[in-house]
Amino acid sequence: MPPLFFYLMTLATFGVIYGVLVIGLNIHWGYAGILDFMYIAFVAVGGYVTALLGLPPAQPAVGETYVLGLSWSFFPALLGGGLAAVVLALVMGLLSLRRLRADYFSVVTVAASLILWTIAGNAKSLVNGWDGIAGVPQPFADALNLDLNSYGPFYLGLCSVFLLVVYLFAERLLHSPFGRALRSVREDELVAQGLGKNVFTLRLRSFMIGAFIAGIGGGLLVTYVDAFNPSAWVSAETFFIWAALLLGGSANNRGAMLGALLVPVLFAEATRFLPNFYSPQFVNASRYIVIGILLILTVRFRPQGLLAERRFRIPQRQLLAPSDVTGHTAIQAADLVEPDGTALPRTEPKASDGEEAHRG
Amino acid sequence: MFQTLFLSLGFGLITASVLAIAAVGITLQFGVTNYLNLAYGDMLTFGVYVALVVNQHFGLSIWMGLAAAILLTSLVAWLINILILRPFTNRNSPRVVMLVVTVGVSLILQNVILAIFGEQFQQYAVATGTPRHVGPFLFTPLQLGILGLAVVTMVAIHVLLRYTRLGKAMRAVSDSPELARIAGINTRQIVNAVWLIAGGLAGLSGVVLALNVVTFTPTVGFGFIFVIFSAMVLGGVGSPYGAMAGALVVEYKTAVALVILILVLLLRPQGIFVLRGHA
Repeated sequence: MPPLFFYLMTLATFGVIYGVLVIGLNIHWGYAGILDFMYIAFVAVGGYVTALLGLPPAQPAVGETYVLGLSWSFFPALLGGGLAAVVLALVMGLLSLRRLRADYFSVVTVAASLILWTIAGNAKSLVNGWDGIAGVPQPFADALNLDLNSYGPFYLGLCSVFLLVVYLFAERLLHSPFGRALRSVREDELVAQGLGKNVFTLRLRSFMIGAFIAGIGGGLLVTYVDAFNPSAWVSAETFFIWAALLLGGSANNRGAMLGALLVPVLFAEATRFLPNFYSPQFVNASRYIVIGILLILTVRFRPQGLLAERRFRIPQRQLLAPSDVTGHTAIQAADLVEPDGTALPRTEPKASDGEEAHRG
Repeated sequence: MFQTLFLSLGFGLITASVLAIAAVGITLQFGVTNYLNLAYGDMLTFGVYVALVVNQHFGLSIWMGLAAAILLTSLVAWLINILILRPFTNRNSPRVVMLVVTVGVSLILQNVILAIFGEQFQQYAVATGTPRHVGPFLFTPLQLGILGLAVVTMVAIHVLLRYTRLGKAMRAVSDSPELARIAGINTRQIVNAVWLIAGGLAGLSGVVLALNVVTFTPTVGFGFIFVIFSAMVLGGVGSPYGAMAGALVVEYKTAVALVILILVLLLRPQGIFVLRGHA
């Protein structure tokens, strides 16, 4: 196979995996407005656990030490990775989502990310320290008898299925009563609280759902690149994913995927082969400089991102004239309408909103 | 045994004084502008490398480097405010947006320094001198210099806040920008002045930090920011005197500082050294 094809295939696979990752962050920031600066830690936990569950037992004789090593097959291992990220989100959320203001919460998340990073690097016996783990088994390579040439397209297909499922799930979530409640929390916490929503549990649940997607994405990533160590998830990586989401469009999953294609893939990969000049770190550093400029320019000039969030709109024909009915009915008649113009079933959101209130 | 105790106490005093300068700077800025600045650590780094250029490239003494670092970091902080941050504050951007913007500034500053100087360890050409006894403590002349600078800075900040018009105006804006504006205070000027002062303090504490840790890389400030945050938070967010006290407690073991940061934010978000009614 020609090298160019291989290269494009690699880019496409990264694009698809980052698509999953950016959608996960979208559920944190775009849906619920959680200022999560430890996102890469969820990715890393998912990646580590997926790898540790899938790898055979460690061989201390050759200088590698890690826990688990259960030789699980791919899907259970990946599920384990996702669930591990959920556990981390649950712990972080229970500790700090309830009490802290958004900006203090974000500081705690950066600190937590740094602590986890330091632990992963120093704990040689846990995840092989700074050297990291390698040789993650390639799922289904033996079972389907795939060789090096045909494995790339197969894994790309596998990841695309994951992206499709995650996308459909995220879209369903966005338009569900839960998703609407989340966005009301994002827009105005007090109003949501006033309407009987439990802001804390709503946030906590979205934090866990986003972390699950991050963990799955991390598992896919580590399985693909075959090796993982702390230098792959420095806290600046979080801001690559943030830049992708903000540029693509918060709260818009197509925007999130577009951002994944533009920032971590096209931009980061396209600059990979630039020759280094002036100093050995020049290209790498310039990349982060551009990401910084991109973040600032995006929130300044196009805060909604390239693809803006699709707001519910109220078609004129459905608005009843105020003289016809009481004001109260007028508000009900102007009930939420999906972007394609179809009215939502009247009973469904009410029923589950009631359930929400009871639980809160 | 007592000797080692006093030795470590003395060392703790030095690190605490480094931290106190930085924590007071960030607390002043946060108190007046009311948003967290994640780029503050990289402003420290900027000062560190300004002094490095003066010290190594021009071959001048580290005290000249320190003066240049204070001046230039102050200027850069002021420029960052005017060019990048003010367009956002003019439009009343929410705090979370300001945080994302300062993340952008942090990435830019840190990586400009990385691109120019590379990631290798650097150090100043400076003689530490022979240690001598001061009471029960053992200090090198350099450490005594650091300690003296910290004390002078703290006194200066105290005089500024307590006795000058500018300091009183800063406290007023910190309490309530709207009321300050009604009282005829030009809040924009005050914010500019605060960035100049916070930048100067960042430059000063950056150089002192670099002297104290001896070797440094372009991430020296960013790694330090969480220690600064924990000192600030421990002392009570937005209270400069609390920040001074917080610095004495935290010193800097990054891991310890991070844990303190998280615990204080969770258990006592108003800080430990806050007077009633002054949170």
